[in-house]
Amino acid sequence: MLESGFPPCGMRFAETEVGGVTPEAHGTSADKGSVRQRAVRALADDFLRGAVKRTTERLRAGKKSASEDLGRWEDWRERGRQIRLHTIAHLDHYLRVFAENARANGAFVHFADDGAEAVRIALDIAAMRGAKTAVKSKSMVTEEIHLNAALASAGVEAVETDLGEHIIQLAGELPSHLIIPAIHKNREQVADLLSADAGKELPPDTAALAGYVRKKLRDKFLSAEIGVTGCNFAVAETGSVVIFENEGNARMVSTLPETQITFMGMERIVPSWADLEVMASLLPRSATGQRLTVYMSGISGPRRGDDLDGPEQLHIIIVDNGRSRQLGDPVFQELLNCIRCGACLNACPVYRHIGGHAYGGTYSGPIGAVLTPALTDHAGWNDIADASSLCGACYEACPVKIPLHDMLVELRRRKAEAGRSKPVEALAMKGFAAVMAAPSRYRRAIRLARVAVRPLSRDGGIRIRIGPFKAWNEQRIFPSLPEQTFRERYRTLEQELRAGLADLDEAVRHRTEERLMARLMARTVNRPGGMPDRMETEPEPDAERSGLPLDERMPGEMAATAIQDMTRSGMARDDGKPACNDGREGGQS
Amino acid sequence: MTPSDNMEKEAPGRKEREWLDRLVAESLAKQEQWMDRIAEKLGRRRLAEPPVRPFRGAPDFWQQHASSREETIRTFIAHFQAAGGRVVKAGTMDGALDLLAEEIRRRHAKRVIIAGQPELRVLKETAAEAEVTVWNEAGAAGSRDAIAKAAEADIGVIIADYAVAATGSIVVASSPAKGRSVSLLPPALFAVVPVSRLKSRLGEVFADFDGMPGGGGLPAGIHFISGPSRSADIENDLTIGVHGPGEVLAVLVEDAAD
Repeated sequence: MLESGFPPCGMRFAETEVGGVTPEAHGTSADKGSVRQRAVRALADDFLRGAVKRTTERLRAGKKSASEDLGRWEDWRERGRQIRLHTIAHLDHYLRVFAENARANGAFVHFADDGAEAVRIALDIAAMRGAKTAVKSKSMVTEEIHLNAALASAGVEAVETDLGEHIIQLAGELPSHLIIPAIHKNREQVADLLSADAGKELPPDTAALAGYVRKKLRDKFLSAEIGVTGCNFAVAETGSVVIFENEGNARMVSTLPETQITFMGMERIVPSWADLEVMASLLPRSATGQRLTVYMSGISGPRRGDDLDGPEQLHIIIVDNGRSRQLGDPVFQELLNCIRCGACLNACPVYRHIGGHAYGGTYSGPIGAVLTPALTDHAGWNDIADASSLCGACYEACPVKIPLHDMLVELRRRKAEAGRSKPVEALAMKGFAAVMAAPSRYRRAIRLARVAVRPLSRDGGIRIRIGPFKAWNEQRIFPSLPEQTFRERYRTLEQELRAGLADLDEAVRHRTEERLMARLMARTVNRPGGMPDRMETEPEPDAERSGLPLDERMPGEMAATAIQDMTRSGMARDDGKPACNDGREGGQS
Repeated sequence: MTPSDNMEKEAPGRKEREWLDRLVAESLAKQEQWMDRIAEKLGRRRLAEPPVRPFRGAPDFWQQHASSREETIRTFIAHFQAAGGRVVKAGTMDGALDLLAEEIRRRHAKRVIIAGQPELRVLKETAAEAEVTVWNEAGAAGSRDAIAKAAEADIGVIIADYAVAATGSIVVASSPAKGRSVSLLPPALFAVVPVSRLKSRLGEVFADFDGMPGGGGLPAGIHFISGPSRSADIENDLTIGVHGPGEVLAVLVEDAAD
């Protein structure tokens, strides 16, 4: 086990993190417990696990077929990445161009440094416009800045109008998926929530439940003074806000109320509509497997001249709230490329097991694990980065190729370097470093450990659930140290192999060695700088011509590799004939 | 800022106007701070010139892809239907309007709201069994009435500005005659789509928007509509017609004067 490299896998911190962690160690997430504690709760919820699994699998399958249907997905991804990189690298230019064009369209543009300022601007607008009710379409930024609570305390009723968000709002919870906010609720739970809201019993039937929400919200749309929307993309060159949605609620919100407030993360910019085509090709396919969402709306200013609907006043609040912290950061700047599709959640083996709430923040899944600490100060939330297997499935799924798994490693590194690791863990790592510093220490440590764990192990495994073994052994068995490590056995193996080679018929051995050497030399000549990791498929005539005595060019290591190669390629066969006598490499089996 | 027309609400009073002016001044000052800070974070001076772009828009192979008219029509129909929409073909605009009148009759629709596009007005006679309202017939003063009419209509009828085959979308842009509510509030949407307005890719439509900078004539609301309103928010179970129309019919007109 230890031979294969310790620590064994990315989950190590989460695994070794046992209960009883002091709240201070977890900063802002303390009130909700640790990631581990939340994950344990999620894992105990059978419906949640089943629902998350079903939905994420459906979304993943949808993405796969939609991207295949489009064709040349990798070209699209690369173009998407380039456009995002370019825009963020020149954000001062594009953001200014957007603001100026939006103003020219008649919109009011606001810049909010943080959530508190964004909320203050929104409350100002609500007060000035005499608003009692605000209808909202989906906006993660407003989740981030806790707008609903602020509106409520100012006496403005905020009504979420996306079906999933509405359910979550009635339940008083946070969305647990970027795209499907109520992924963790079953229809009986939804029926209970809506029945309580309606004051009469509603059947657990999807059409009936959706019908109730439609009717209820239709009245709200028609009477609300303020519509609040998010913004998927903002087109700099025309000052347009672009919103993707399936239900039509964002259209309602931006059509019926007299005042519209759009919240927009400062990084949502694309330079032109031409560039939007790439985002429009990537986002819906990655999010839900659709060619395009049912509605894609480009909103350029308030209603014009004699238009009879659309808002009279449009406010666009551009929110920083920690985003500019990533600018200029060599590792995290790419985080601003995110288009919030949720594909990394659906691909993540950890998310698919524990769902979104276990992450404890507005954003969940791999993107949340990186974004949440990045938007704050990397200080609190420091256990979220541990809830990852570092497998890279998030990167593979990401339509704009954000290397989230590398960012997670970097977060862990910064956490350790800032001295924020748990003391026990820091000590363990120090000991690990000391042991690994010299081979002799390492060998001694292994021998010592073997003796130490002997009383604990049975049938090749350690089953006790105390101390450092507790968390790991709750789910599985920690393998005990073998009596002999591979490295120790290798010495014997090598000797046996050499002996075996000597037993070959003298002539065969000679021929075999000759050919072997010829090939080896050719490879060293052709590929300076080290041994190749695989055999070439053609014999190299250059080697035959080199003319130097073979023995003089045969370093010990090469010989050892040659022997391994021979045995792998079946050269020392029973019939004693070299397997590659036709000049072709027969091996690689 | 358009002073609003008929309703309770008057044009912004002096207090509100002062407030808005203050917001604009704050915004302009803040904008300068922000851009300076962004440039500083990015480790350079503010850009004086627009950045050079080695590429723009979709990958080359996509931009160069050309498809025949027939292929584009086939693709549009397949994609629009795959998303749950319905497509019927008509030879001429007159044929399309007859077809729409027939659909309205067949459904026993009580109220219909039509966009103020002149071609559609004939429906007031041909579909007279229903109460047919023209969106902007009351003129600029009828905002609330127009919305109320759209909200109670069974069907909204509009002539689309574009359609896109690759995504299976029809496109409607707002104007005084083409209210956003017409394509949104009624439970059914009928859209007339002249084939001459059907493009194969989104980028061909977008090309018309680029080059219309702020204040340069882009309509306030441009809506790409790809099938009926839908949600899968309750247990992953597909629901049609959550807020927008649950039924969308596109009538493709082969030979419409454009």
